[in-house]
Amino acid sequence: MTAAFLRTRAFRDIVVVLVLVFGVGSIAMLLAHVSPIVGFGALFDGAWGTKGEIAETLVQTTNLLFPALGIAIAFRAGLFNIGAEGQLVMGGFAAGWLGAQFPLPGYLAVPMVLAAGTLAGGVWGAIPGIMRARFKANEVIATLMLNVVAILLTTYLVTGPLQQGGANGSETGPLPKAAQLTHLFDTQLTWAFVLALVLAFVLRWVLQGTVFGYELRAAGDAPEAAKRAGIDLGRTALIAMSLSGAIAGLGGATIVAGALHRFNTGLSPGYGFIAIAVALVGNLDPLWIVVASVAFGMLQSGGIAMQAEAGVPKEVVSLIIGLVIIALAGRRVVASLRST
Amino acid sequence: MQAVDGVDLELQPGEIHALVGENGAGKSTLAAIAYGAVRSDDGSVEAVGVVGLVHQHFKLIERLRVWENVLLNREPRRGWAIDVDAARERVRALSASYGLAVDPDALVETLPVGIKQRVELLRELDREPSVLLLDEPTASLAPTEIASFFTTVGDLAKRGTAIMVVTHKLAEVIAYSQRVTVMRAGRVVASHLTSETSADEIAREMVGGEVPALAARASVATAPLLEVRGLSARSGTSVLDDATFEVRAGEIVGVAGIEGNGQTALSDALAGVAAFTGELVFAGTPLRASDTPASRLARGIRVIPQDRRHEALVLDWNVRDNVALGRHRTLGLAKYAGAAREVIERFDVRPPNPDAIVAALSGGNQQKIVVGRTLASSPKLVVAYQPTRGIDIGAAALVQSRLIEARNAGAGVLLISFELDEIFATADRVLVIANGKFVGSFDRAGIDRGRIGALMAGNA
Repeated sequence: MTAAFLRTRAFRDIVVVLVLVFGVGSIAMLLAHVSPIVGFGALFDGAWGTKGEIAETLVQTTNLLFPALGIAIAFRAGLFNIGAEGQLVMGGFAAGWLGAQFPLPGYLAVPMVLAAGTLAGGVWGAIPGIMRARFKANEVIATLMLNVVAILLTTYLVTGPLQQGGANGSETGPLPKAAQLTHLFDTQLTWAFVLALVLAFVLRWVLQGTVFGYELRAAGDAPEAAKRAGIDLGRTALIAMSLSGAIAGLGGATIVAGALHRFNTGLSPGYGFIAIAVALVGNLDPLWIVVASVAFGMLQSGGIAMQAEAGVPKEVVSLIIGLVIIALAGRRVVASLRST
Repeated sequence: MQAVDGVDLELQPGEIHALVGENGAGKSTLAAIAYGAVRSDDGSVEAVGVVGLVHQHFKLIERLRVWENVLLNREPRRGWAIDVDAARERVRALSASYGLAVDPDALVETLPVGIKQRVELLRELDREPSVLLLDEPTASLAPTEIASFFTTVGDLAKRGTAIMVVTHKLAEVIAYSQRVTVMRAGRVVASHLTSETSADEIAREMVGGEVPALAARASVATAPLLEVRGLSARSGTSVLDDATFEVRAGEIVGVAGIEGNGQTALSDALAGVAAFTGELVFAGTPLRASDTPASRLARGIRVIPQDRRHEALVLDWNVRDNVALGRHRTLGLAKYAGAAREVIERFDVRPPNPDAIVAALSGGNQQKIVVGRTLASSPKLVVAYQPTRGIDIGAAALVQSRLIEARNAGAGVLLISFELDEIFATADRVLVIANGKFVGSFDRAGIDRGRIGALMAGNA
């Protein structure tokens, strides 16, 4: 399977997503005896109605944007990294634990916390990268497994050897004030949102405007031709997976430093999985992924309001997102498993 | 797109009718319509009896036995089970009756290509076709096998079967057919009794004008470039065994052989993508099995791979980025567009647009990009593996001319081809490969077609 294959059916994918969101969403609402107009109205209103709600939508956008950008880098290199969840969790853990363990002065604390998360996520991405480069191990299975390992490993570390006395033993200690991200406009939104946007533009430039990006795309779009043109596929896979994991890890660190102010094993409600759909809907193009993140961020934040205002269970949103993932990613996972 | 447009064609029982035309002229589509695999928008096909079709690429199930392949879906039954004895006997009788000797119990994967072709033929003959369509039937046969194949086909015709052979090999048309129809751009442009025409006339009709002449061969001083001693290599199922030869700067060395005789292993070993043992010395220093493709490129060794769609091009990319591939580091992004325009100009790539997506280009234009970017890097050694496969005569002549010009300018060229005519037209020396071994060497002046054909078939 080539990266080009992942990107071929962009238009059809958008149609599928719209049908799933509005079609399945409407059916689910009707089953709950709620008019879809009222239900979707509550969802939109809950996502964009007030300053606080807009901020929450953009926070969800940010939390999806980081892992989705990471996923896109791996996918563009032809690597089906579905381990963003694990990479994000590892990044969050490293940020939370180090930030609480080593309080640094203000101007160093935040960079250290974010760098720790980036590094940890990068390492977690590099592991399947090395397995792929050295042993041609299928990265789908490796990354999927490492998700579970990451969650169980951090749970073990937090409750066991690296315990810091956080609440009910499933958290690290609190981050000092200096290590927390500054809030914007007096809302929950932090400048992690701005960082994610800048990152999207930088990644777009890396992919389209550098020789490294050229080699990465060649490896993804036509590996045999790339190999014969002197591109080292193993090295490219390792770099792409490390970079991919690092970006997801950075995302985990911003959740810890921006919202939770500690690492908690329930840090992510599946951002790393939803981000697969976000990356595919965004056609693996960093700028379109920004747009897709806003749309999915809206579903995430509006779902709660929909439950409160219209009485539609917020699980309807999970249902829709789950179906989108199956529709967009399922076929590709099967193709990827067959190709190795 | 209209692949075939308003074609009238009539096959007579007892006649071998050749259908010729360039790639994309609509021959295979016409055959598929006649067979019933493709629906025509307008017009009709009428046949008395069953129509059979033998594909260019065998459609056999490798893991099954001969009788299982021949009788697939038509197995004689005894109750719920297949009557194996009756099946075996039916295949044996069929093969005896047509003089196509083959063991009904042999596993297809163990058979050489010539025998596989017989199995394909038997499968169609079991249906007792009154019309038999053969699509490029000799593509993977040795010259000697080709003669015996057409003897069989001639016998079939004498029994009253109407036979149509789709081919691009004009020598076979002249030698074996009674009637020939020429197609160009989806239309029939000429129809002759074979006895009343010539290969030259047919070629002109296929191209729609004069066949372009090749570049002149300048006399150049040659110098040692690549020395190969005892090279053994493997790439997938392709195996090369103990090859010793040299390629000098300023000459084209042709490697003549039938597909599947070790050519891929040879090409891949030189490209740096297949492991090898033996001694390779290039411009005075050794090449190692551990070399990366990048290090081969850096030393001026460029390979035009056999499969341009997978091994050479990124089909979803535009012309500009494809022209850069392989030189993308040394050129730098800013120079990609200029490099693309040079190749487009020198190789007459159509459309002449660096932003055109390569997948949308014809095979000939795709190949011009591959050959163009290869020669634009001023290589010392060019390994050209089937550089004109599946492209039209005009594009093929252009590619061959550019290879000759590279030779004239002092490059060494190793031309690996399944088309003897291509090798005879361009090579200074001819090496013959069979069963993974180099079995003969001929200077241009001493080329002996009959001898080369026999060597290719493995008859030393």
